Amino acid sequence: MLVFDQVDYHYRRGVPVLRQLSFTIRQGEFTSIIGGNGSGKSTLAKLMNGLLQPREGQVKLGQLNTLNPEDLRGIRERAGLVFQNPEDQFITTSVHDEVVFGLENLRVPGEQIADRVNEALRAVHMEEYAEAMPHQLSGGQKQRVALAAVIAMKPAILIVDEATSMLDPQGRQSILDVLHSLHRQGMTIIHITHHMEEILSSGRVLLLSRGEIVFDGTPSALFGNVSLAEHSLALPFAVRLHQALGLRAPLCADWKETITGLWSMS
Amino acid sequence: MVYELKDVGVRINGKDILQSVSCTLQKGRWISVIGQAGAGKSTFAQVITGLTPFCTGEYTHNGQSLPGDRRGKRTAVPQAGYVFQFPEQQIFETTVYKELAFALKVKGAAPDKLDEAVKSVMGQLGLPESLLQQNPLQLSGGLKRLVAIASVLIAEPELLILDEPTAGLDPLSRIALLKKLQAWQREKRRTVLFISHQIEDVAEYSDEVMIFTQGRLLAHLEVNELFLRQSKLLEQAGLPLPEPVQLLRWMEAASGRSLEPASCREEDILRLVRPVWQSRGLHHGG
Ligand SMILES: Nc1ncnc2c1ncn2[C@@H]1O[C@H](COP(=O)(O)OP(=O)(O)OP(=O)(O)O)[C@@H](O)[C@H]1O
Ligand SMILES: [Mg+2]
Repeated sequence: MLVFDQVDYHYRRGVPVLRQLSFTIRQGEFTSIIGGNGSGKSTLAKLMNGLLQPREGQVKLGQLNTLNPEDLRGIRERAGLVFQNPEDQFITTSVHDEVVFGLENLRVPGEQIADRVNEALRAVHMEEYAEAMPHQLSGGQKQRVALAAVIAMKPAILIVDEATSMLDPQGRQSILDVLHSLHRQGMTIIHITHHMEEILSSGRVLLLSRGEIVFDGTPSALFGNVSLAEHSLALPFAVRLHQALGLRAPLCADWKETITGLWSMS
Repeated sequence: MVYELKDVGVRINGKDILQSVSCTLQKGRWISVIGQAGAGKSTFAQVITGLTPFCTGEYTHNGQSLPGDRRGKRTAVPQAGYVFQFPEQQIFETTVYKELAFALKVKGAAPDKLDEAVKSVMGQLGLPESLLQQNPLQLSGGLKRLVAIASVLIAEPELLILDEPTAGLDPLSRIALLKKLQAWQREKRRTVLFISHQIEDVAEYSDEVMIFTQGRLLAHLEVNELFLRQSKLLEQAGLPLPEPVQLLRWMEAASGRSLEPASCREEDILRLVRPVWQSRGLHHGG
């Protein structure tokens, strides 16, 4: 369980970035976090794994508290963060070493490392690039490697900060499939995204606006109740279609299924 | 102002990255470049700007030949501005103001013109002036990207090349940016080369589309021609149809009617599909 209790954060004194955030993420949830540019999503992600510490309030992961230096190691093991910009994350000179690095840090026994590296690179379809230099990959490939490095560590909570923004549509879908399959295996997923259609398949959505949580609920409740434009968001196509055709059917991620069903009933 | 490639090829470490690409980029057109990851889009854009030398073929600007340099030297391509895929690749200064002014100084602009130009480009992109004294590298991902775009736009290039310019922007900022860029491009009759994975945006904003597969230019055609009549090309390139076009196809199949929207833009497709849906007595549907 990940608990935010009245968390405040600022980088510079007098310029609050996050204000009075309180929420709980339960084990096994798939939560999307959305919000405009600069609303504080990446800051929130870094608070989740102790990379930043709250100025006020506290962030707890089970019994561990990000304010306790001796808890930080345990927190980093349990909460894996994939950065928005993969270049921020790379340290080594090959894709293979990039994934190994994190595992060695976790003191994973040597004989398990090879398997976990291969498995993670396979999951993101980068096994053919094991010997490539991370800095020479395309934008989308970098994002895949960054994700592999974190999932190899098998964190209980996986936090991905816009990890699909550089991918082509197929690549994006395949990464989403990876996230959903990890979720089915019991991993807690926190997915930060600007792609509104991606949130339709998550159980819960948190909407951040100017450092505050202004919505916490299901995707369909979000589209029914919140003026998205106020928070620099837009409706996904499925919802625009619902409105254009005047559909009252419940919203589902696959609009084709919805209209096919209605059409055949008439 | 015309940029023209004839049979251009790029080979790096013995591997063909681009093969015999021929195309003409006309003045005042919004040309989108699409293709799967690794299809050669960014390399193509870098050849156009002269950042990547080409090995074979010919490159001309207004009929003047630009040197294709086989020894790895860069070609100076007149009037082309390039916005990189990651803003960090082009941000160097310690304040947003300096970052924007730098591009103009390089062009030899008079110092007393700097302030005005900086303000004007900030206004064009809807960036608040309060950002000017901030460190661009400490801005949020989305704002960093807008600063990178502003630093290229300020030099008023004839040809603006945008490599995934909307990645990392929130939905409203994404739409606002595309609209502003389109207004700028149309008003000043500039050429935009827009590399994007967002196929819906490509259908919405382009005049023409270039499709790349495996280092080759598969097709270069008018946007409506591609999405409404030659969508097989997308399949061939492993790309999805825009959602509105998928809806159109679905409706044609369901109703057995052939539908011809005014354009491939979402608005025009929904306008056509709505009455067909309602004629089925479905307006209270569900
Ligand atoms: N290292 C830093 N130093 C100072 N200010 C920062 C730093 N990182 C972020 N900020 C500021 O904190 C605020 C929130 O930024 P954050 O990166 O968390 O937003 P975000 O929601 O992730 O935005 P985006 O969608 O653009 O990625 C912004 O105003 C940003 O400029
Ligand atoms: Mg962010």
